[in-house]
Amino acid sequence: MPFSYPHFGSLNYIFEVIFREIGRNDLIIPNKPSKKTIQLGARYSPEFVCTPFKMTLGTFIESLNRGATELGMGGGNGYCRFRYYWFVQKLILEDLGYDCKFVTFDYEDPLQLLRTFKNAGKGVNYLQTFRAFRYAWVKNRLTDKVDELLYKYRAIESEKGVSEKFAEKLYRDIVEIKGFRNCRKFLRNLPEIFKQEIDVIRDADPLKIAINGEVYVVLEPALNLDINKRLNELGVITKATVTLRKFLDIGQRLNPFYKMEHEKAIKYSHKYVPYNIGGETRENLGDVILYKKKGWDGVIHLYPFTCMPEIITRSIFPQVSRDYNMPVLSLVLDEHTGEAGYQTRLEAFVDLLERRRDIMREKKRLT
Amino acid sequence: MPHKIGIPKALIYYKFAPMWKTFFEELGLEVIISPETTKKIRELAISSAPDEDCYTTKLYFGHTMYLKNKVDFLFIPRFGSKHKTNIGCPKFIGLADVLRSMYSDLPEIIMPHFNIAKGRDNKVTFFIKACLVGLRFTKNPVKIIQAFRKAMIAYKQYKKQLIVDIETLSKWEQSEIMVNDFPILKKDEKPLKIALVGHSYVINDSYCSLDIRNKLRELGVDIITSEQMPRELIEEQLTKHEANLYFDFEREILGTILYFIENKVIDGIIHLMIFGCGPDSLAGEVASRFSRRNPVVPLLQLVIDDLTAETGMKTRIEAFTDMLRRRNSSFAFQLPALRIT
Ligand code: SF4
Ligand code: SF4
Repeated sequence: MPFSYPHFGSLNYIFEVIFREIGRNDLIIPNKPSKKTIQLGARYSPEFVCTPFKMTLGTFIESLNRGATELGMGGGNGYCRFRYYWFVQKLILEDLGYDCKFVTFDYEDPLQLLRTFKNAGKGVNYLQTFRAFRYAWVKNRLTDKVDELLYKYRAIESEKGVSEKFAEKLYRDIVEIKGFRNCRKFLRNLPEIFKQEIDVIRDADPLKIAINGEVYVVLEPALNLDINKRLNELGVITKATVTLRKFLDIGQRLNPFYKMEHEKAIKYSHKYVPYNIGGETRENLGDVILYKKKGWDGVIHLYPFTCMPEIITRSIFPQVSRDYNMPVLSLVLDEHTGEAGYQTRLEAFVDLLERRRDIMREKKRLT
Repeated sequence: MPHKIGIPKALIYYKFAPMWKTFFEELGLEVIISPETTKKIRELAISSAPDEDCYTTKLYFGHTMYLKNKVDFLFIPRFGSKHKTNIGCPKFIGLADVLRSMYSDLPEIIMPHFNIAKGRDNKVTFFIKACLVGLRFTKNPVKIIQAFRKAMIAYKQYKKQLIVDIETLSKWEQSEIMVNDFPILKKDEKPLKIALVGHSYVINDSYCSLDIRNKLRELGVDIITSEQMPRELIEEQLTKHEANLYFDFEREILGTILYFIENKVIDGIIHLMIFGCGPDSLAGEVASRFSRRNPVVPLLQLVIDDLTAETGMKTRIEAFTDMLRRRNSSFAFQLPALRIT
């Protein structure tokens, strides 16, 4: 049964890695979603469901039309809607006349996750599944790093479009790399490779903006209208601070000597929201403080229309932003978000940050 | 002068009121509960709450603002879950934090956190947390323990009174008894039997639900509400599906609808949904899909938000009950699920 899964930004490559490793050679790799995809999904979705539902449903329909019959999706018991998506999508797809089976992954529980992957695989034992899994998280570190470097170099490249093409090639390389040792070497060398390959504008003086919010919106360019590219083109270095590695990267999760970035952020957010409320609320609030301390200029927070945890985040942001003197822009996204208005708001925010930076520099010079 | 503690009458107040009220009263506090929602509270709500929040959460803000200057403390628990896998709604956990962040002039908020599914809480920590809350108001441990006991008893009694057992339900289904107010009937009219389904804090808040209970009563409808339904039936109904609906308070909603869709003993189902509500958006879709697959008992889904007009609602309900009556006299007329915003 041909297998497919939702498109999820550059994580798409990671999903490909893991499913190939567990012997699924019948993958239907999802196409990059477009405006059409989300409109297709929205047509059959409940009216006020959050936007990732519509996007993933649209992607599923497209993959089913290309021959997929088995679909992978998050499952289990969660805080918000995401893990119940699949059941509703299944009913919708059934009513549309598709014959499909869902495989659900409870990503919070590593053992359960391993078991599901083994059962979803073809002729693999637990050891092999674990190996596949390890490949996934190790390579996820690579794609995250490539993302990070791309969002940096694209802002300061001297010839437009070079970094993007280069990153595209690297993603493919990452899928193909064999052996953990090579992966590690690759990761170590990445900054150097970028430096060598891409000519940068010498006297560039880029702003730095951290992008956070609901995980799917931040990582799926089709949904956030490729916000990183838009900002890079305005000469701003960006970084997506959320990553699925908070679930996937068991290596770092279990390493007592390593603190993942989101763990640091959660610590900072403690005085605003001391308990988990699902979504990325605590990380997002903490990011403002974390990135202020790192000397970044601002934060853009993205969330889907009607998203429950992120409405909470958004309501608390003004206080954090005030307390730490760090500008935060919250943007809500859905299938109706217009490009023009969106671009204007981004430009206005960048202008504001630029002016702020000038004033601050002036002050520093005078004192 | 005893301290005054305020409890906003919205959201999970409607689930746990007797417990909280008894507990604080036994501790010797004066408990001040905001009144039923009114136009003024709605206005307060809309001006004080975040734009994109669901209507009921906005109302919670309105009630809090109403109490703001009238009390010394506010009780806004961060409620996560009371079940080993199922949770409430993320918004319940965040309420106190959002309010305190947006309004620095609120009285001190008592905000214990409780979460079994994801927060490693259990009966023991529940007791300890209650004691910690109690210790803020009295140093006498005996008094706290007694207050706790009485609160639990009050809560159990309240649930026992509210929820009918299977036997009572089947009597209601046979039209032998009624479980709510008597409907007002015209001459020669038989009452219609309708299940009124929705969040407790919607169907019990007459302003928020646009007084639907009274309207139905006037239209000669005999109702049962989703919160009255026997839990065993709901659990049984939901285990028929492969996915676990982990929103604890949404279970009674979906369970009730699915039960009556299958059971076919009543005339119709009215489901009050809240615009923008997370759990409703998914469970409502599941309900309407199953209803279309098995369209014997008509399902009317009404979506409410802060702009819904009372008159529009009234016409729709009237049209629905009219249709049910006509359908009763001339059977063999089928109607798919209908959703109106
Ligand atoms: S985090 Fe927000 S957008 Fe994502 S599933 Fe939950 S409610 Fe929807
Ligand atoms: S369950 Fe729905 S209506 Fe209730 S607070 Fe949550 S989102 Fe709002």
